[in-house]
Amino acid sequence: MKDFDSRWQKLVTAARQAPVAREETAPYGFATRVAAGAMCDAGPTVLAVFGRFSVRALWIACLLTLAGVAANYVVFAGSTGDDQNLIDPVSEVFTNAS
Amino acid sequence: MADETFDLFACLARVRQRDQSAARELVEHLYPLVIRIVRAHLPRRVAEEDLAQDIFLKMFTRLEQYKGAVAFSHWVSRIAVTTCIDQLRAQKRRPEFRWADLSEKEADVLDSVLTSDGAVAANDALASRELVYKLLGQLKADDRLVIQLLDLEQRSVAEISELTGWNSSLIKVRAFRARGKLKKLFQDLERKERK
Repeated sequence: MKDFDSRWQKLVTAARQAPVAREETAPYGFATRVAAGAMCDAGPTVLAVFGRFSVRALWIACLLTLAGVAANYVVFAGSTGDDQNLIDPVSEVFTNAS
Repeated sequence: MADETFDLFACLARVRQRDQSAARELVEHLYPLVIRIVRAHLPRRVAEEDLAQDIFLKMFTRLEQYKGAVAFSHWVSRIAVTTCIDQLRAQKRRPEFRWADLSEKEADVLDSVLTSDGAVAANDALASRELVYKLLGQLKADDRLVIQLLDLEQRSVAEISELTGWNSSLIKVRAFRARGKLKKLFQDLERKERK
């Protein structure tokens, strides 16, 4: 590893000497384009608005369902007792056949 | 970044109020910092301007999260480094490193590094840098970034930790793994050179 280290260090030392003479100012129009893009995109997207309203709608639907069940609880509870008094046509057919 | 008169905090306040000209000034002010990072870690086949644009757009999107705990330039550098590393992770590594992939100058430099004890000639610096980048291209994106920051940019482990968000143990493990891979690469190249 020591041998490798000295070789690698020799190579990177040489690499660090390479001149960096490239332009470092933003190309013409770059800053304007980026700034315009950033300022336009920053508002809430259609998808985000839809998502927020969807969650609200879900909560409202749940509350309405619960309110509906609560309001009609008496009807639901009473209907199970009445079912026992109903005539079962299938069993009647079997009874008459035998 | 050289503009001493630039009032960063006033500019940030204006950007937060959706001032487009302030946003443009901020981009122009930060461009040298961002483009240096982009050029140092640019993946193959990715245009540096596109990558710089992605970094600036991310910066504007996350601007509300900046609370001033660190220098703004550090905060932007971190966004730039993580964006570059995401791009590097997305690209596939070259399957094999071959002598045939090197230019004549790069092959000379590699030959000199492998066979002689002397330093590389000063006029071979550019070829050396290209060669280093080709060798680093064989590493995983995270390992490559660590070696590049440690050896080429001579950053400390603490600085790398600040830039990447990785803890120092992870950085050391990645550096060790990367050096192991580079060592194997050197050995393979040396064997091929002897043949």
